[in-house]
Amino acid sequence: MLRDIKVNKTQFIAIFMMAFLGIFAYTGICSEYYGLEQTSDAFYNETNLADGWISGTNFDSVDVGEVNNFTTQSERQFVIKSVGDFDGEPDITLHFVENGTISKFYVTEGSPVDINDDSGVWIDKRFADARNLTVGDNITFEFEGKTITKTIRGFGYSPEYVYESSPASFAPDFNNLGFAYLSYKAYPDNIEYNTLLVKYSISDVDFKNRLNDSIDYLSVTIKEDQFSVAQFAQEMVQHKMMGDIFPVLFILITFLTLLTTMTRIVTHQRTQIGILKAVGFNDKTIVLHYILYGFLPVLLGSILGLITGPMIIPQMFYPTMKTHYTLPEWNPGFDMSFIYVAGLLVISSVVVTYLTCRNISKENPANTMRPKAPKLSSTNFIERSKLWRHLSFNLRWNWRDAKRNKFRAFMAIVGVMGCVALLIAAFGMNDSMNDLKSWEYDDINHFESKLSIANNASALELYYIANYTNGSFIMQMPIEIKANDVEDTVSILVSNNTDLISYTDENKNPIEIKEGKVSISVKLAEKFNLTIGDEIRWHIVGSDEWVTSKIGQMHAEPISQGLIMSPDTLEDQGLNFTPTNIVTAEKFGERCDSIKSVTPLWKMEDSWSQMTSAVMMMVYVVTIVAGLLAFIVLYNLGILSFTEMEREVATLKVLGFKTSFLRRLLLTQNLIFTAIGFILGIPLGFYFMTLMMDAAGDSLYYIPTLTWGNILLSAIITFSLSIFVNLMFSDRISQLDMVEALKDVE
Amino acid sequence: MNTIIEFKNVNKEYKSGDHILKAMDNVNFTIDEGEFVVILGPSGAGKSTLLNLLGGLDTVTSGEIVVKGNHVENFSDDELTSYRAKNVGFIFQFYNLIPNLTALENIELMKDIVDVNIDGLSVLDSVGLKNHADQFPSQLSGGEQQRVSIARAVAKQPTMLLCDEPTGALDSKTGVLILNLLQDMSNNKGTTVIIVTHNAILAEAADKVIRIKNGQIESIIINENPRKVTDLEW
Ligand SMILES: Nc1ncnc2c1ncn2[C@@H]1O[C@H](COP(=O)(O)OP(=O)(O)O)[C@@H](O)[C@H]1O
Ligand SMILES: [Mg+2]
Repeated sequence: MLRDIKVNKTQFIAIFMMAFLGIFAYTGICSEYYGLEQTSDAFYNETNLADGWISGTNFDSVDVGEVNNFTTQSERQFVIKSVGDFDGEPDITLHFVENGTISKFYVTEGSPVDINDDSGVWIDKRFADARNLTVGDNITFEFEGKTITKTIRGFGYSPEYVYESSPASFAPDFNNLGFAYLSYKAYPDNIEYNTLLVKYSISDVDFKNRLNDSIDYLSVTIKEDQFSVAQFAQEMVQHKMMGDIFPVLFILITFLTLLTTMTRIVTHQRTQIGILKAVGFNDKTIVLHYILYGFLPVLLGSILGLITGPMIIPQMFYPTMKTHYTLPEWNPGFDMSFIYVAGLLVISSVVVTYLTCRNISKENPANTMRPKAPKLSSTNFIERSKLWRHLSFNLRWNWRDAKRNKFRAFMAIVGVMGCVALLIAAFGMNDSMNDLKSWEYDDINHFESKLSIANNASALELYYIANYTNGSFIMQMPIEIKANDVEDTVSILVSNNTDLISYTDENKNPIEIKEGKVSISVKLAEKFNLTIGDEIRWHIVGSDEWVTSKIGQMHAEPISQGLIMSPDTLEDQGLNFTPTNIVTAEKFGERCDSIKSVTPLWKMEDSWSQMTSAVMMMVYVVTIVAGLLAFIVLYNLGILSFTEMEREVATLKVLGFKTSFLRRLLLTQNLIFTAIGFILGIPLGFYFMTLMMDAAGDSLYYIPTLTWGNILLSAIITFSLSIFVNLMFSDRISQLDMVEALKDVE
Repeated sequence: MNTIIEFKNVNKEYKSGDHILKAMDNVNFTIDEGEFVVILGPSGAGKSTLLNLLGGLDTVTSGEIVVKGNHVENFSDDELTSYRAKNVGFIFQFYNLIPNLTALENIELMKDIVDVNIDGLSVLDSVGLKNHADQFPSQLSGGEQQRVSIARAVAKQPTMLLCDEPTGALDSKTGVLILNLLQDMSNNKGTTVIIVTHNAILAEAADKVIRIKNGQIESIIINENPRKVTDLEW
């Protein structure tokens, strides 16, 4: 057995590597996603994240009593945005908590939250790190005309702030954004709680209904809609979708190549099986021997993959995730399915080995000891045609060889096809994401910066600024939209036609949104199954005023879906135009009270890139693993064809064929199979790519494109691997011991 | 007659582990052009080794092999390859035809390595297989396959035909047919034919009989009146 393994070292390594890579990629990618889910769940549980947030003006104990009738737990907080006394006036959200039992502050440094401490504050660790704060420092906040100074007791995290974001960018800027937890006793006045955190065990709908029937309140947010929870959940969905598709593809390719290889290897051993039988070993012993043969490398490979996959792949994603999201721990996840998949791989490899082996050992030994007679070939019309006579020996030989070894040809083609499809999909995704980016930030938006208007801005100052910067007012808000029984939260853009923002159609060509028409984005229209002329109902989030609009036009927008209309059109609908931003082609550096923040376009583009870094990371992982897999598939094919053809190659060598000629013979075969697999892999890869992009985000609209550059790049990778593998075999051709290879079967 | 092959003090050693096996032990002989030579000896005597050295499949440990004035033992790999292509026709016990190619294609294959104009069909005709031209090796009987393999070997008009137990896998009737064919090649076409066998009867048909044992030459006998293969008592 050991000697066997030594003799067939390369094949064992190939089998081992296949099992390893397949399981490595599968468990690695899955474990990344499970890790996000499991660590965030654990964090939410440990800190007792609220199920609902009710906001109101002054919740008293009567309100609490009412709410307690249909909730399992409740607690009041006073939540207020404040400005920290630092350079740049960072926004710090203060939470004055009643007793700190729901959505608890998770302390990582300093003393635990003390509800009786009227002079202490617990600070967002990310903010503290960005500002170099230490425990014991004093810190001052300003809000609603009040100024309070407290002593920092500790740093930590909050389950409500796994994702923090400034209004203007996707990526959090921890230097200018933070949160702090304090005891209600630290509040300078008589506290009027504006938030009621609840835990409940009834359904969300029941909860909302019961709430409506009980107390007066302004608005309610349930857990899955909470900003941070929702954002993180969406990120996880993205990972899960990719994590569902890629690993499955990898594992399918692994199954395919591994099982076919096992079959080939055992079939190769037929002579030896015959000898063992002739010597007197019984079938059982022989079958057992070869089952071990299939079992060991697959088992070892799977175990190694099972261990290293979750150790390595998640760590490639987590660092970028950490720049956006805040969790106390980032650990790879684990799921029983990892074991099942690995187990299935091992078992099916054993079963296939067993079946192949049993078929051989059923034959009589004398028969088995001869190499299996090639199947009776007949010439077909191609081979009888005139053209055939003109084909080179190389082509004729390869044609017949493929015809005779259909199985091997099939395996090679399918293996290459799968890897090419993965490469095309990964590159295509990369392209599509870049395409989205340039569509959004080059084709549509041309402004230099976007100014956010402060809540209490003065109209006069704003007009002055707009004028001074040649800017244009826009209103961008989340809206809730209903049509054909579907509901969704999307966004509205209200703006006059301006040079700073060009609307586009599906082909990225600029279009105008006509005065008086409400335009819906193509992706949204598809989702709601709407066409021009249909009606939708919608309202601005935070207002109860529902309006009905007729769709007059369609536009295409790559990264945010919703409605676009002019200010006049909006007012025709009976709503007020309340600008939220000014866009301008000029730089704006002045400080003024009416402008909350200024975000240059490049910064928006930057944060978009950061947001999509997980997708990009997946692209890299897939490219590398697919490349390795392609290499193993081709190498394995190389070994198989080489051992199968050894005798023929030796014969040709004896006849006086040059090594270079023989090398070309094998290269031709490899290249032809690679080419066929490559061509078939392109449409498959395109299909994978659309699957993947659909998974990447609900709000993304893209045109699946396949560029020549990508095809070329995939071709270069695949074909150079193919040639490289071939080079590895040329040595074996020139060193082939003819006498040995042609030794008569004795 | 011209001497075209000469072995001078040829030694061939195989190392297996720490002990050395002398497969050729100081072998000397000559062969003339057009001779029909039979090499006899028990199994393991070194017959195949001798043939492989002569055919350029293997290299000597020491000694000289001179073929038409060229020192084969000094050839590089590439020179050996073209030496095999031009001078040597091999015929094996198990035919070693290319299973992917038809009988005719197996012969025309040689066009790719030698500058000889090969008319595959007439060569096949000369071994009596014109009607089997489009059949694959697996569709032919053993004797037919061996005849294709002879046709393939002679098609390129080599200096010598080296046959390692060419009838070993055939029944005796078919064997005689094959040996007769080989003798004709030697007598009518002037090709030097060297046959390895352990069937001593063939000795009577040979121009020269070389007996070897334990890697050494036991005797070299020249037959003044070789008999025809078909006249022998099998
Ligand atoms: N590649 C090899 N390695 C080691 N020993 C070999 C090798 N080839 C042949 N021999 C040995 O050399 C001797 C002669 O072999 P061979 O020429 O094949 O004999 P035969 O006369 O039966 O054809 C035998 O003892 C054989 O075992
Ligand atoms: Mg022999």
